[in-house]
Amino acid sequence: MLLLDYHNVLIHSLLTERFSGSTPVSIDQIVSDFDGVTFHLSTPESKTKILISIQVKCFRELVQYGAQQVLEREYGPYIVDPEPGYDFSVLIDLENLPAEQEAKDDLITRLALMKRNAMAAPFERAFDEFAKLSEEASRYTTESAPQGVKEGGEVMAIHYREEEAIYIKASHDRVTVIFSTVFREETDRIFGKVFLQEFVDARRRVLTLQNAPQVLFRNDPPLELAGVPGLQNVNDGTLSYVTFVLFPRHLTPHRRYENISHIQIFRDYFHYHIKASKAYIHTRMRKRTADFLQVLNRARPENEERERKTASGRTFRVQG
Amino acid sequence: MASQTPAVVMDNGTGYSKLGFAGNDSPSFVFPTAIATKAGAGSAAGSAPGRPPVANKPSFLAGGGGGGGASSHLSTKRGTEDLDYFIGDEALAAANGPGYAINYPIRHGQIENWDHMERFWSNSIFKYLRVEPEDHYFLLTEPPLNPPENRENTAEIMFESFNCAGLYIAVQAVLALAASWTSSKVTDRSLTGTVIDSGDGVTHVIPVAEGYVIGSSIKSIPIAGRDITYFVQSLLRDRGEPDSSLKTAEKVKEEYCYVCPDIVKEFARYDREPDRFLKHTVTAPNGRSVSIDVGYERFLAPEIFFNPEIYSSDFLTPLPNVVDGVIQSSPIDVRRGLYKNIVLSGGSTLYKDFGRRLQRDIRHLVDARIRASEARSGGARSGGLDVAVVTHKRQRHGPWFGGSLLGQTPEFRSYCHTKAEYDEIGPSIVRRFALLGGPGSA
Repeated sequence: MLLLDYHNVLIHSLLTERFSGSTPVSIDQIVSDFDGVTFHLSTPESKTKILISIQVKCFRELVQYGAQQVLEREYGPYIVDPEPGYDFSVLIDLENLPAEQEAKDDLITRLALMKRNAMAAPFERAFDEFAKLSEEASRYTTESAPQGVKEGGEVMAIHYREEEAIYIKASHDRVTVIFSTVFREETDRIFGKVFLQEFVDARRRVLTLQNAPQVLFRNDPPLELAGVPGLQNVNDGTLSYVTFVLFPRHLTPHRRYENISHIQIFRDYFHYHIKASKAYIHTRMRKRTADFLQVLNRARPENEERERKTASGRTFRVQG
Repeated sequence: MASQTPAVVMDNGTGYSKLGFAGNDSPSFVFPTAIATKAGAGSAAGSAPGRPPVANKPSFLAGGGGGGGASSHLSTKRGTEDLDYFIGDEALAAANGPGYAINYPIRHGQIENWDHMERFWSNSIFKYLRVEPEDHYFLLTEPPLNPPENRENTAEIMFESFNCAGLYIAVQAVLALAASWTSSKVTDRSLTGTVIDSGDGVTHVIPVAEGYVIGSSIKSIPIAGRDITYFVQSLLRDRGEPDSSLKTAEKVKEEYCYVCPDIVKEFARYDREPDRFLKHTVTAPNGRSVSIDVGYERFLAPEIFFNPEIYSSDFLTPLPNVVDGVIQSSPIDVRRGLYKNIVLSGGSTLYKDFGRRLQRDIRHLVDARIRASEARSGGARSGGLDVAVVTHKRQRHGPWFGGSLLGQTPEFRSYCHTKAEYDEIGPSIVRRFALLGGPGSA
């Protein structure tokens, strides 16, 4: 498993099972997803009505950036008032599903992607802003551009975890996405550094990656973030910033959807691979230990003293 | 922190792994504890086209590891081969295709292959549960008599690979006892009782006193779910049914079997009431369907617990006698508690009236012994002994449910060992855990 899925596997499999016409049973499950997202699947009224609620830590910020509109676009008719304690709820009536299998599958996929869609709002907004700015910018030369166009839009910050955030900034020729990540564990920090360095190097080395977004990695806040409130400038190495620069070729409408998914999962993907590398190193360590043990077990003293007996029972020692 | 992340409960058994979040009433995922790795091709090609083995390795080792299986080759790979694997149902599917070999990292309840287990966990956490281990506490289970070294290995993986926030390792039998608290019959939440854990491969009878397993008295029986399936299959074969595959036998076992109070009477009853014979329709993957008869195996199959001689010739002690023997071999001061709280757990205890029959049979044994000792004592009267078998709704995933129940309690986190404690003390920290749900907790 090299890549992580974007959708929640449990919601997907559960809905697939329910939608396929199996006998309805009551559900009451709390499910976690990455980045402190919690889902609650329940059947509060009757067994055929499934309520799916999502709780996202930074929902207030997401709403500011238009999450409500994105979610309304995705789940329009299913939206109900949010369940207490959660940020957003949809209610699916099993007796009132789209008839065709394809539409059903589509609905399942969309519901399983609820977290992705909730988090997608600021990205979509930035991409739209980019489109607008680039259009405006095409009317000016670099020198004559008015302040707003040259500088680009404001920085949108999403504090999706307690100490970490994503910052998104649209300009007329690019969209910059900056992740701040924290490594509590020293080993992880080293792994993380190697990984991030590799992002930078691989792009230079491998030709096919030339089209990939540029990735920058540094320990102090990048210049784009200058003036963003609440930025800690502690330079003890725990906090690092990863910058993705998305160029217009990444922002074409048909690539947008995928790119948003990709970039959202970056942090989890990153951490997953750090852990997978550790597992790999452990495998090698275990193998090596087993090999050494094998060597030790085979080892014999070179000159073993043996005792010999004569027929009469007297003993004497032989060398070698 | 306003909202705490729910604890992750993972019960990795020999056959199936149960994964989910504490507080839920059923596991989110149940799939086979299997991992499919790219091994078949690797064993042939592993040494030749890959990088040559590390130079300073003694030459006899380079080839010597060939018998060691997939893991020995993985260490010579430099790409992303270590991520090329599947777990659970996907593993079974992948193993049917070319290039993958299936492995079962857990044998007899204990983890045998740590490389595979580490990757199995990694995939469970990131792909299925989708949690960041640093944010969650983990509750894992272990079989009774698990060596402490295994615990330490587990802790090493959980803390060092995954950096999980906190870890608690509980004994399955104790969790099964906790799961029985949901039964209306259980009034006091004690952790004393006898657990009969019957899964697919083996049946264990485990006495637990105040949350501690009495290791010396554990008995296991080589009769469990798989044997019942085989027995049903042999009955179907003997009768010459059109379909007698293992899968069909399993379906018949799960859907129609029950425990009867008396086989002889039950045979007579079947003769009187022909509507007790049923038909089962099997639909083959190609769409053809055949109908097979389901008859005496309905009550004969689970009967092998009570009369093993009808199935096996080398194990002949009925389950009630084993349970009685286990309790009799336990310390005398806990026996009363053990008789009073016999808890069922595992898929093979789900037959209708299984608990009732077991309770009756054990009570017969106990009463007979009391009467005999009364007769011998010459006139003394016994106050009697209470025998109760507890059946409850959560039997199938008993240990997991018990874990979910205990994992959602507010004090759960204080019982865990945290990452900081692990860093301070080292793996030996997990040799001791405070007893969760025991006396003194809420």
